[in-house]
Amino acid sequence: MAKIELHDVSLTFTLSQERRVTFKEYLIRGLFLPSRNPRVVIHALSGINLQAVDGDRIGVVGHNGAGKSTLLKLLAGIYPPTAGSRIVQGKICSLFDITLGFEPDANGWDNITYRGYLQGETPRTLKKKIDAIAEFSELGDFLNVPVRYYSAGMMVRLAFSIATAVEPEVLLIDEVLSVGDLAFQNKARERMREMMASARLMIMVSHDLHSIQSLCNRAIWLQQGTILRDSSPDEVIAAYTGSIAPAVEHHPVGAPTESVTGDVEDSVPAGESRAAA
Amino acid sequence: MFDHLKAVWNYRHFWMSLVRMDLRQRYRRSALGIGWSLLHPLAMTAVFCVVFSSILGNSDWKTYAPFLLAGLSVWEFIRNSATAGCSTFIRNEAYIRQCPLPCGIYPLRTVMGAAIHFLISLSVVITLVTVLKGNTASLRVLWSVLPAIVLTIIFAWSLATLAAFATIYFHDTQHLVDVGAQFWFFITPIIYSRDLLDRKGLSWVADLNPVNLFLELIRTPLLSGEPPALTLYLQAMVLTGVMLGLAIGTIAWLQRKLIFQL
Repeated sequence: MAKIELHDVSLTFTLSQERRVTFKEYLIRGLFLPSRNPRVVIHALSGINLQAVDGDRIGVVGHNGAGKSTLLKLLAGIYPPTAGSRIVQGKICSLFDITLGFEPDANGWDNITYRGYLQGETPRTLKKKIDAIAEFSELGDFLNVPVRYYSAGMMVRLAFSIATAVEPEVLLIDEVLSVGDLAFQNKARERMREMMASARLMIMVSHDLHSIQSLCNRAIWLQQGTILRDSSPDEVIAAYTGSIAPAVEHHPVGAPTESVTGDVEDSVPAGESRAAA
Repeated sequence: MFDHLKAVWNYRHFWMSLVRMDLRQRYRRSALGIGWSLLHPLAMTAVFCVVFSSILGNSDWKTYAPFLLAGLSVWEFIRNSATAGCSTFIRNEAYIRQCPLPCGIYPLRTVMGAAIHFLISLSVVITLVTVLKGNTASLRVLWSVLPAIVLTIIFAWSLATLAAFATIYFHDTQHLVDVGAQFWFFITPIIYSRDLLDRKGLSWVADLNPVNLFLELIRTPLLSGEPPALTLYLQAMVLTGVMLGLAIGTIAWLQRKLIFQL
């Protein structure tokens, strides 16, 4: 039984103007005073309510910086919600930033092992899968070479092969349908379909509206960190594409922000400041 | 808290394989590998032996060399845990951004690597003492040193965890730790014996020094062949308990903020 429940979830980033402060600067320049180090508050997600159960295939659409990837990372447990409650039941498999976190000096085989353990495999279960992973990646003898010397495409192949070797209950996907070269893409697509079919619950973020229409049975439109619409893919996509009609000139990018300078709070129009979310 | 420990255990294959990799990389491709990384304490020992015996007229190198090497092993382990601990979260940023792992795993990776190195240098010390003294007293007292080694490792993990969290808030922590360690090295009875401080009426410097406690628990028994006093063990347990509490408290307090600070 897989389940996702978000109750009134908000995620707020508080970014300081001065990042990576040193202790010396902190003391000498008085960066502990809010006036010297103004903070920007970004409401990446606000008031999200989402219930999903077995069988749901949810596609998420929205502009850049609308909070789509942040929502997935929150569901995966990487970002803790700053307000509200998050309940996710089931073994999660997340396919985003998959090329991050290789150990560059270790070879392909070793990296399969580390990643496998990271995904919750044990030596015994991994032993059965490792050959299949190696075969799927088609990297052959390159698996004996340190990952440092891999091309970007080879890295993606390896990452994808490892990440998709699990049988997930909750599958979270962020724009990974276009991986590797053409030959690998077809294979990857096939693998993704298998995974989506076997996963109990899937949430995918994509700008490819066709794949959302064909793969999902529910869609969510996110804008500025809130859910604008939550209904059938056809309806949501129609509304979403309708809003991008030429008549509408202003497409707000990013999440609402406000800058906090000491006691004075003045909010900046959302469209003007760039959000990192 | 219990959940955190359970999660660390569940992911044991992951961090243990990373520790193995770190070690392989450190001792890579040579029979000299381990010897090479032991070279630093060994060279320090040799240099201090030469300096102290020729300049200060301390000619008894046979007792001084093991004394120095044992002290340096303990010191290097604690110091390395603190300095390497500083960069722990930054080194493992990719994992933190990708997977919600319990954040105690990352200092554990750092400290376990250093701990294996520490055990290797301690076995060199034991060999040295056994050969130079011609008896097996230090082997027979080993049972009483083992709990102290465990305590030292827990202490080092707590230190590394605190250093790691300090670094994500203040990026020059490692620099400060380096400077602090330099100072600490000279106020700790490592290259000189404790008597020197006692004679100058500075016993309190040693008494209040946590590193000295671990030296008394590990170095002194190995050299003298006599198990340490129980009160020393009690002190070390209290000290380690306090540090562990601080580290766990920091994790509970800041682990949800970690991702936002990277």
